[in-house]
Amino acid sequence: MAAEAAGGEPSLDIERHLKYWKMCLRSPLPHAYLSNEGNRMALAYFIINSISILTPSSPPPPSSDTAADKPPTPPLIGPEERRALRQWVLSHQHAAGGFCGTSSLIFPLRDYEEWDFEAGAPTQEHSGLANIAATLFALQLLALLADDETADSAFSGVDRVRTLRWLRRLQRDDGSFGEVLRLLPGRGWFIGGGYDMRYCYIATAVRWMLRGHVKAGEPGWVDDFDTAGLARYILTSQTYDGGFAGSSQDEPHAGYAYCAIGALSLLDRPLENSKASHPSAILHSGIRDMPRLIHWLASRQFVYLEPDTSADDDDDDDDDDAVNFLLPKTLSDLSLDENLHYAGFNGRCNKVADTCYCWWVGGALANLGREELLPRGPSRRFLLEKMQHRIGGFGKYPGSPPDLYHACFGLAILAVMGEPGLSPFDSSLAVPVETVRRIERARRGLLKNASEERKAGTLGRELVNMGLALSEKTPEWLVGVTGGAW
Amino acid sequence: MLALSRCVAFPFRSPIQPPSPLENPHHRPSKPTKATTMPPKGKAAPKPKGTEATKPPSVSTSAPVAPPSTTTTTTTTSAPSPGPSTVSERSQQRFDESRPYEAAREKSGLSSLAPAEQVAWISSQLARSSAARARLGPKAQRELWRHVNEASLPIRAPKTKPSSGSWGKDRAGQYIGGYTAARFDDRAAKRISLTALEIASRAFKHTRERARKGLLDPLSREPVVLAENETDQEKNRRRQMAALRRELYGQTMGQFEQDPEWDDVVPIPQDEPEMALAAIAYPASYAEAISYLRAVMQKKEYSPRCLRLTEHIISMNPAHYTVWLYRASNIFAMKLPIPDEIEWLNGVALEHLKNYQIWHHRHLLVDNYYPSIADDAEKVSQFAASERAFLAAILAQDTKNYHVWSYRSYLVGKLGTWGADELAAIEAMIADDVRNNSAWSHRFFLVFSNPAHTTPGTAATDPDPAVPRDIVDREVQYAMDKTYLAPQNQSPWNYLRGVLAKGGRRLASVEPFAAEFVAGLGEVDEAELVRSTHALDLLAEIYAEKGEREKADLALRRLAEKWDRIRVGYWEWRRKCLDVAG
Repeated sequence: MAAEAAGGEPSLDIERHLKYWKMCLRSPLPHAYLSNEGNRMALAYFIINSISILTPSSPPPPSSDTAADKPPTPPLIGPEERRALRQWVLSHQHAAGGFCGTSSLIFPLRDYEEWDFEAGAPTQEHSGLANIAATLFALQLLALLADDETADSAFSGVDRVRTLRWLRRLQRDDGSFGEVLRLLPGRGWFIGGGYDMRYCYIATAVRWMLRGHVKAGEPGWVDDFDTAGLARYILTSQTYDGGFAGSSQDEPHAGYAYCAIGALSLLDRPLENSKASHPSAILHSGIRDMPRLIHWLASRQFVYLEPDTSADDDDDDDDDDAVNFLLPKTLSDLSLDENLHYAGFNGRCNKVADTCYCWWVGGALANLGREELLPRGPSRRFLLEKMQHRIGGFGKYPGSPPDLYHACFGLAILAVMGEPGLSPFDSSLAVPVETVRRIERARRGLLKNASEERKAGTLGRELVNMGLALSEKTPEWLVGVTGGAW
Repeated sequence: MLALSRCVAFPFRSPIQPPSPLENPHHRPSKPTKATTMPPKGKAAPKPKGTEATKPPSVSTSAPVAPPSTTTTTTTTSAPSPGPSTVSERSQQRFDESRPYEAAREKSGLSSLAPAEQVAWISSQLARSSAARARLGPKAQRELWRHVNEASLPIRAPKTKPSSGSWGKDRAGQYIGGYTAARFDDRAAKRISLTALEIASRAFKHTRERARKGLLDPLSREPVVLAENETDQEKNRRRQMAALRRELYGQTMGQFEQDPEWDDVVPIPQDEPEMALAAIAYPASYAEAISYLRAVMQKKEYSPRCLRLTEHIISMNPAHYTVWLYRASNIFAMKLPIPDEIEWLNGVALEHLKNYQIWHHRHLLVDNYYPSIADDAEKVSQFAASERAFLAAILAQDTKNYHVWSYRSYLVGKLGTWGADELAAIEAMIADDVRNNSAWSHRFFLVFSNPAHTTPGTAATDPDPAVPRDIVDREVQYAMDKTYLAPQNQSPWNYLRGVLAKGGRRLASVEPFAAEFVAGLGEVDEAELVRSTHALDLLAEIYAEKGEREKADLALRRLAEKWDRIRVGYWEWRRKCLDVAG
């Protein structure tokens, strides 16, 4: 499908990718996605994010000869549908903050009765389960589903205060984050999800989207999580070879390296009009061994060699390594021109090439402001000629059928590398740049509401206080209602 | 039909389906139509023996389920017609037969009938309507009954005219009115069986409930007990009910709905707006299990059946993190032995290699199990050995499984198994595949985080003076030995760099070793030979460390130009860094 344009470079068939995503948008996903049933919000993000990458709101002027007569096509997702999908996203919000990853974890509202909303803490275990990743994807979706007219209210309906309070409770003593909170019988509160750099990144992204500049005591103030503790945890997770792992005792992994870099950079990213690769002090002065980190990231690229199809069938086993991580017989082979055609990326040393690592490695380098280290031509060719599928989308390995995850991140890295026709992409927040501007507007809208609500709330409080002054003592029912927050 | 219009994904919302709506009022074995007092029998005219075209046949009192023999009679106005082939036709015929001359009158008006026919028609009208008859005098009434008897006019008849839509469709969308009589009767018999089963099933539940409450039987004054085999009988009954519902209405009766053990749980189906993203086409059995899971999670029930429910869901979707947390809750709440759970988990893990919730679960189990054996060195060592054996089995399937390695490093820290056994196990894995970077990483952790000879809390990239010199020497030698096996394998090169940093040693201390892989750098054509780009990379750093800028630049340039051109951007960046440093 990668049509050879003049000059021999393949071109991206945007229409075909849109067709694939339209199918994912309109029809139920096949049974193979069952294992993602708990993470449907993630799948939803892949779909809407990809459509946004493929349909920039200010598309480049079409080349004169091809599209002059074409009538303007209606948007793939109309305003009505956007509103309805927004409602779907918001329906996943947990009454105690955060978002659930799937409708099977949302319970009827009456089941949240045991929650002390004022204190932001449960009086006992509650039904439903908010998940940190679902919370990020839900916020990204709300911004992706907004347009220029509705951006200011994109986050309206999001319970900013409870979500940020809940986020704090997901942080462990060592500074790291888990994904869910659960009360285990006889064991107390448990922060589930293992030691995973993804949650650390997500915590900083949610904080960046929702918290805003509010001074202590001002309306909308919420206690921050322990940012220094988080930074410390991440910085000590650098491994002996320069990469990042879930913790320093594990093997480094490109996905975790992306998350570590992204998290550090988001901790001090300016809230307005900033770029993904802003000069982050926490990131650039904090990383213990930056040269080794860059070395490790650069080492994830390798020359992708075509499997020799003429080889004897007996040798052709199903081992991925055999077809996907071919080593040159001698190093001199690598210096041959034709072998420089494709650059694959792996996630760990001596592992196979996989579409998503183009994104995790490329995105990490972009966040460090080191895009020039990416072999743009060979990476692009590798994606378009080896990983792209006939029906649109990208697969995991050469020849694999497309799936939402790889299809989305294949587009994302092409957008980061400046692919014509795609939305410019923010490698740190993993949405188009125009969506980041909408997130900023949405955050402002949310904070404005918070301060207005507080003003309205003051009047009510004064009325109650006046009533209390007239009566002799506080009635018992009011104690429960206010939770001592007056 | 109602059954088909139900949401296919959640057909088990109410455990007992209401009986199907009346399929056709004409075929209900109902009371005879209220007609009138019976005519005096004595005055009844002898019934006609044969069938005559001009005489309407008599219709038995319960016309709707008349035996098929009636179908051999003829209609009033036309030539003999063949017997009805479908129940719909049969109803139509019965209707026509019960209303002599009605069709002809409707078509052309009363005046078109012969006088005798007119009398017959009027008589049958009056015979069926007590209201109209009330207006007749006694004499007229006698006259009327005489007429009716003599002409054998039908006095009972279906009230409403059969209409084609009233039969409904079966589960296959086939029109039920088009059934043959035999097929229709078969269906009716099945519906009756289903109703009988439902009644028996309700009786079972009733008895069980009374037994649970310890009530006395009102007749015997003995406590109600549920006999042992009754639950099995009920299971059998539900199977039959499920089969009948599927056959009759296309309704599926889920596995849990069929199980009497789950009767007290009201499942909570998912509720989703019409417009949703990323809906997954999963089977009804999964949806049913999740709806029961939601119900027991909400009740915070922790019981053996809940444990079985989690196992069932995990077998369908092991990636559902909520199920795992709920499973752990069950184990803790019931205080089940954790080693049993770990053993069960071994099988699940081997079945689902790429799943990581399994490893989080194991991690949580060990966190909660370890304190109970921590004081018993013997038990700890036994547990460590059994875990190591399992890890060996699972790594044999997938030598670089990230979650397994991550769990392994956690386990070493938790159980304190830093010793020779673990190191030997890792050495065996590296010997097996020198490119297994996961094993290399684990070795680094094992050697340089061992509290016996390291400073706790030192970052992996930082030097640690507490590490004895001979250990650093040993690890440097190990990396070098393995490098010779495959010089272009980056793992030992990275390891070597890491060991040197830990030991606080200069890179230059391994310059002769790195130089072994590079010959004639910068010389023309064949004279320049590089056997490992990683060696050349390291040499470039060594030269820079020693302040030999030109040599460093040459090494980097040759990497960019010839030996590792895919990373040209990186090598050029390194060259720029030399300038900054210089």
